[in-house]
Amino acid sequence: MSRRRETALVLTGPRVGRPLAALRRHSLALLLLAALLFPLVADPYALDVGITVLTFAMLGIGLNIVVGYAGLLDLGYAAFFAIGAYTSALLSLHLHVGFWEGLPLCILAAAVSGAIIGYPTLRLRSDYLAIVTLGFGEIVRITATNLTGLTGGPNGLYGLPVPKIGHFELTSQRSLYLLGFAFLLVSLGFSWALFHSRLGRAWNSVREDETAAEAAGIPTVRVKLLAYVLGAVVAGLAGPFFAARFGAIDPTSFTFLQSVTILTVVVVGGMGSLPGMLVGAVVVQGLPELLRAVARWRLLAFAFALVLLMQFRPQGLWPVPHVRRDPFAGLPEEPDAQATPAAAPQGEVLLHVHGLVKRFGGVAAVDQASFEVRRGEILSIIGPNGAGKTTVFNCVTGLIRSNRGEVRLAGRSLRRLRPHQVVSLGMARTFQGIRLFKGMSVYENVMVGAYPTQLGGLWRGITHLHLRRETDLRNRLHARRWLRFVGLEDKAARLASELAYGEQRRLEIARALASEPQLLLLDEPGAGTNPSEKNDLMELIRRARGEGVTVLLIEHDMRLVMGISDRVVVMDQGRILTEGTPAEVQRDERVIEAYLGREDESGWEIEEEVATRPS
Amino acid sequence: MIAASPFVSYLINGLTIGSFLALVALGYTMVYGIIRLINFAHGDLFMVGAFLGWTVLNVVASRLPIALSVLMALLVAMALTGALGTVISRMVYQPLLRAPRLSILIAALAVSLGLQNGVLLLYGPVPKTYPHVLPASGLSLAGVRVSYPQLGMFLLSLLLMGALYLFVHRTAVGTAMRALAMDQDAARLMGINVERHIMLAFFLGSLLAAAAGVMEGLYYTQISFFMGFLIGLRAFTAAVLGGIGNIPGAMVAGFLIGLLQSFSAGYLSAQWTDVFVFVVLILVLVVKPTGLFGERVVERM
Repeated sequence: MSRRRETALVLTGPRVGRPLAALRRHSLALLLLAALLFPLVADPYALDVGITVLTFAMLGIGLNIVVGYAGLLDLGYAAFFAIGAYTSALLSLHLHVGFWEGLPLCILAAAVSGAIIGYPTLRLRSDYLAIVTLGFGEIVRITATNLTGLTGGPNGLYGLPVPKIGHFELTSQRSLYLLGFAFLLVSLGFSWALFHSRLGRAWNSVREDETAAEAAGIPTVRVKLLAYVLGAVVAGLAGPFFAARFGAIDPTSFTFLQSVTILTVVVVGGMGSLPGMLVGAVVVQGLPELLRAVARWRLLAFAFALVLLMQFRPQGLWPVPHVRRDPFAGLPEEPDAQATPAAAPQGEVLLHVHGLVKRFGGVAAVDQASFEVRRGEILSIIGPNGAGKTTVFNCVTGLIRSNRGEVRLAGRSLRRLRPHQVVSLGMARTFQGIRLFKGMSVYENVMVGAYPTQLGGLWRGITHLHLRRETDLRNRLHARRWLRFVGLEDKAARLASELAYGEQRRLEIARALASEPQLLLLDEPGAGTNPSEKNDLMELIRRARGEGVTVLLIEHDMRLVMGISDRVVVMDQGRILTEGTPAEVQRDERVIEAYLGREDESGWEIEEEVATRPS
Repeated sequence: MIAASPFVSYLINGLTIGSFLALVALGYTMVYGIIRLINFAHGDLFMVGAFLGWTVLNVVASRLPIALSVLMALLVAMALTGALGTVISRMVYQPLLRAPRLSILIAALAVSLGLQNGVLLLYGPVPKTYPHVLPASGLSLAGVRVSYPQLGMFLLSLLLMGALYLFVHRTAVGTAMRALAMDQDAARLMGINVERHIMLAFFLGSLLAAAAGVMEGLYYTQISFFMGFLIGLRAFTAAVLGGIGNIPGAMVAGFLIGLLQSFSAGYLSAQWTDVFVFVVLILVLVVKPTGLFGERVVERM
């Protein structure tokens, strides 16, 4: 384990040697240049292997969208490859559609099948996903084998016409290689653009922590479905190329083993890394060729090599380097755009909770809880551990479904809404046990939080290319504003996992604020922080209110609660015990009995200790 | 004599296949339960078991009584395959426990490829035939003949599964394994030797797979280096259907898949069997995302 840590440090650490850093920066371009020049030196056999490598690099790039970007397991990717190839072959054989005219249809067919496989699997955890995608792959292959009338059965389809460009027929190996290279470039560009879009960041957040992503406002279901569809699109491009190259296809090219080989390309190259896909394809397709010398031992040797590779470089040969570039470099200062938000009517009811009930088995964690949060106030919920405070948060934000009760935000019912919809209506939250996207940078965490406010999905990204710069500028300014707000601007390029504990708390608040909420829910923001950090936190909460954000807070630290709250709600055993101003609550006999304890019993210190232990 | 009802014969055939599948599925589910790895090499351990049993049987069948030589083949194959599984877990998987989850998955695929090609090198590409040692006598059930060996295999499978169930649920070691499956770090803090228990899970899983492998060899007589793939796929399906990590679930689902396979091959078409199996699996998962008997995973906030 320590060994792995070290290598990871060397790879991602700030002190990569300069020549190496330069190499890394231009790695993709250099690899592509090498691939382009390869036909000049290759003999026909090597060129043939080269075309295979190009095909697998393309497939790796496609599968990487699903596996590397979105973190979903797919063991049936060859099915999309098959659908692309068969669609192309059938179109040209039966309907005499040319290669280029048929290409969009092949891509469409693959994308539709991506949606079909994606749809039922969205509720599944990744392990179950593995078998469903595997099953889908097998279903497609068996269908292709058995529908003899349409697909030619085990013999497949052959005699496919040669693709042409103008009058030039792409028959020679060299021209096919160049066609493959062009397709590879298109796939790379497609994948690169996706990665750097809002969707790409959303995929990464789902990979890091799906629940936190949903709670941060990412429509996780749609985003995951899009990963399958857009991953399949690349296979829909590679399939027709494969069919055209051989002029024939049959089901043996689309087995489970093929899916596994493509997955091996992704993992060996380094998940998420585009140059990694090229390297992975070269190793997975090229290495067995080099091992031909050992003939019969070839695959055994390859298996050993693969095991060793995973032992020594589990992150792959060319993992994504964490770029430590200041995301705000060259960003203009805003002309003090702190325009105070339009003075919202203070005191009107913003959040209305009535008769909320949540049972776990026979236990009512929340039992007929009713309270209101008024616009512009800071309201705290206090109560002993197990009183049901966090469960109230989870029900209100849609993370778990309550058994009964009504929740309204600014008059609008939140019934049956998914967490990300609640976020886009203006309610954001943090978690008791901090849930950041640890493998992403501080900046990216805030960008994910800003997802609901950002324009530009995939479609807009393509159609509004000329606006890309403007949108990008707007998004970066927005992210900087909130990072500055919590005092983390200078750490924007760090990984979230590298932050100190108190900084992580503040980053989570910045992520929630970036969605521009009307109401901010903080679940024990003071837990595990020291007294001076608590002062900063109080100040931060007050400033957030100053920005027009209403705050609902769960907290055990009485100094913090009593210091900033306008009102306090006390919960005990799922019920609302009482509510009132901090002074009223502190005097209430029942509250003292249930929670605060009598001072002469020195219950305070004990409570403090329990409360500040990070859970 | 009553005309043999195809239904009963499909039923019996399904139960026999199902008992093999259940034994293999147990290995998938145990390993998954403990280290969250889909062990793609597990089907190949089944295959290795079948080849080891074949080797033993070839040596001893002519010298010893039938029952004894079959028993020896079973025991030797189980012991050696169990040892092989343990070594693989120690050498390949344990160093990767803290690595990205896909790395260990790829390592498992590599082990699968290695086992297949290792057997291919040692035994050659031509399928091997088990010696025809089993008696063909049997009894008649609703007009369908059930041979004694068939019955014996079925009972042996049940016996092994029962033993495993009791071991996991009634002994201290089994309790430790279950604790480990729930929370590895907490189990370690309670003084459980995590590494040793992981190896034990692999040992038991491989041993059961080898028993199924030898029985499959005796039942179908033909074995090949590639036989582990298909049964591995179906057993894995069974493990998921039963709720992966759930031992009784894997047993029941193994029989269900066996029956599904037998009935769909009998009444519909053998070519489409796997399509039926997977369609049923997908439908079940869409309705019950954690398998038929799976426990819900609690998300901590």
